[in-house]
Amino acid sequence: MAEFMERPHLVTRTKTLFIAPVAFLSVFFVAPVANSILRYFHFSEFSNVLGNQSLRGVAWFSLWQAVTSTLLTLVVALPATWALSRYTFRGARLVRGVLTAPFVLPAVVVAAGVLAITDSRGVFPILWAHVVFNVSVILRIVGPRWSMVNLRLEHAAATLGARPSRTFSLVVWPQISDAVISAATLVFIYCFTSFGVIAILGGVSRRTLESEIFTQAVRLGNTETATALAVLQAIIICTVIFIARQSSRPNSTFLHVSAPQPLRTKPRHRNTPLLISATAVVIVASPLLATIYRSLVVNNQFSFSAWRTILSGSLPALSVSPQLVIITSLVFAIIAACICVPLALLVASSAAPRALFSLPLAVSAATLGIGLIITFNTSPFAWRSERWFIPVIHAVIALPLVIRALEPATRAIPTSLRNASATLGASPFATWVRVELPLLRPALLRATGLSMAVSLGEFGATSFLSRSGSTTLPIAIAQLLGRPGVATQQAGFALAALMVLVTVGVMSRA
Amino acid sequence: MKLTRILIVSFLVVIPSACSSPTANTSTDATPNEVTLLAYDAFTPQEGIFDAFTAATGAKVKVVTGGDSGVLVSKAILTAGNPEGDVLWGLDNTLLSRAQKAELLTSYEPVDYGDICVNYDKQWFTSRNIAPPTSLEDLANSTYKNLLVTQDPVASSPGLGFLLGTIAHFGADNWQGYWKSLKVNGVRIASDWTTAYTIDFSGSSGKGKYPLVVSYGSSPPAEVLYAEKPIETPPTAVIASTCFRQTEYVGALRGARNPNNAKLLISYLLAVPFQESMPLSLFVFPTNQKASLPDLFTKFAVAPKNPLTLDPADIEENRDAWLSSWRDLIL
Repeated sequence: MAEFMERPHLVTRTKTLFIAPVAFLSVFFVAPVANSILRYFHFSEFSNVLGNQSLRGVAWFSLWQAVTSTLLTLVVALPATWALSRYTFRGARLVRGVLTAPFVLPAVVVAAGVLAITDSRGVFPILWAHVVFNVSVILRIVGPRWSMVNLRLEHAAATLGARPSRTFSLVVWPQISDAVISAATLVFIYCFTSFGVIAILGGVSRRTLESEIFTQAVRLGNTETATALAVLQAIIICTVIFIARQSSRPNSTFLHVSAPQPLRTKPRHRNTPLLISATAVVIVASPLLATIYRSLVVNNQFSFSAWRTILSGSLPALSVSPQLVIITSLVFAIIAACICVPLALLVASSAAPRALFSLPLAVSAATLGIGLIITFNTSPFAWRSERWFIPVIHAVIALPLVIRALEPATRAIPTSLRNASATLGASPFATWVRVELPLLRPALLRATGLSMAVSLGEFGATSFLSRSGSTTLPIAIAQLLGRPGVATQQAGFALAALMVLVTVGVMSRA
Repeated sequence: MKLTRILIVSFLVVIPSACSSPTANTSTDATPNEVTLLAYDAFTPQEGIFDAFTAATGAKVKVVTGGDSGVLVSKAILTAGNPEGDVLWGLDNTLLSRAQKAELLTSYEPVDYGDICVNYDKQWFTSRNIAPPTSLEDLANSTYKNLLVTQDPVASSPGLGFLLGTIAHFGADNWQGYWKSLKVNGVRIASDWTTAYTIDFSGSSGKGKYPLVVSYGSSPPAEVLYAEKPIETPPTAVIASTCFRQTEYVGALRGARNPNNAKLLISYLLAVPFQESMPLSLFVFPTNQKASLPDLFTKFAVAPKNPLTLDPADIEENRDAWLSSWRDLIL
């Protein structure tokens, strides 16, 4: 008996497996970033940056807009997450797809959509665009956990006379809080480091640390200042991640979750979930519709010509055909998911400390980009211009997000299940395949979708890497929108609209 | 279930092919008869234009792109001496001195030029019976209040060109006063060219609120060539007196693996066939005097005889100070 009890979880036993994600991240992330910091970081420049009044203003703006954006995102996303992980109704899958789609879109497209509707600039459009981008993060990370919260507990609480609010705060919240905190941390970081949206919707007076890092490194050639700012940004983000991790710890041991609960079709207040979902969709989908509109209507006339061009024609403003761009992006997304999801699963199911795997969130794209081109520059590691390098970097960037998408589900699997399986004579591998994987399946599908979405939408690091012919969708959209000529720009919006539709399609299945 | 199956299949198909590609690439890298041209993302030469070069020299041209001209040059400077290619396309007169300081190139030549000019929406002005502005001074006139959109000169190269043009015209001591009056007159600063031209400008696809935009002297022919339905004349025109000259250079990178092919490629880029292909593929004017221009360019593109200019060394020396005093004025 004792022998069985001691038989540990597959992944923890074979610690060797954990080496894979650690090695991957060390080679493709830690080494280049460390190289960049060792070469360009000087304490004197760091204290200059800290003493600079205008840069302190930039840091303060980054911080408060990120906190506000995160709170607003939670307000919109949590009710929708509840509705979609508890109830099913006609169109629920579509709603899930629509709410996730903006995640892949380039900032300029979402910003143009928001601008088409608000018709003004300033803080409100920025906050709206951030909500549009990030509702999907909450939905994708909290959703799987919420659907695993055992309904019988809620029923028991209700039977004992607890009002819905009390049931939520005493029964549901403790079981989803770590997922919510983890997702909110991510949203905060994405908003904190946002810069495309802020540049377009806020104008030049609104700057974030991330945009200042890019300006200093690329526009002004002050790599030392940029690196000092990047270190400052990383310190702030790591602090936030640390605080969030600390506050989400205690709950994880009291979980009573089980396999995904069946979705109810007949809620007591039938219309509430519908209404909540509809509100979220209106907030998120209107910029998407504006994108589709601009791909179809030009000079008040309806035309499919831009769609015909991107699906079967060619564009002189792109060095490759739009069809090849679409294929390249999809192949990169699949490769990135094939690398990222298995590694993330290893991390998420292991008990080892995983602070390392949050680091890609803390490091600015410009720092990573600079590190990559100065590190992978000599044979046999002269990979910086290789085609496969791009999806590998996408996998690095997606890793923290995908781990967070899997973690709530992996943590929720009770040890007793594994022990029972072992007691019944199953090998750790058999337990993993027959007990854990089926429980993780919804989370794995969502994680794969998220990884593909990150890859499809990634712009910063990709644009930094040199490419020969392997243009991805966001790069192609930026190129098309960066040229005069109505047809060229319409084709840019058509590519963006195609991304929306494909993502809605993929995400409403996963 | 279906999605799981698709994912498993793609895993099996994609991973082997991804693993095989590096070996394929290294083998072509080792081939001596190749030359790599580094360029910005918007470098879209005419299809098949390098076939003649390969036929004549036997060397294959590999075009490698990454980022806009600022990103490209910053990257090239960070990797100076161990470059990602042999020939660099995309340095302009605002970046040239930075490249020289970093000893980026062993040689360079001007390869094309164009102008950064204020463009206007013709229909907006005719429908209101207002004469379009004709000078930089006009832009600060209250007749043209809240009509101009330009770009952040820190982030955008046309934005920088327009700022430099005002410095060239008003002088290093008086341009600040001009910008103060532009600010009073409601100039809008967009973050980049795309935002200004496709969202704010009224004369192109975005149908925005601003009928005056900082763009290029070659934007009108592009509006004709890439119109949604064939049109005879462009909906936009250029105010020639606002034009600031932008010259682009092509150079051989220090530490290149194929220095001889680099030389050959540079001569090819400067010769007539390539130079004549540039106007309609890259929307720039050829520097080679023997190259003739297409009709669309002679009719609608503007490149004034005496554009506004500044010395590259002057730009490099003062750029940071100009930009920070511009920021203090505007932000």
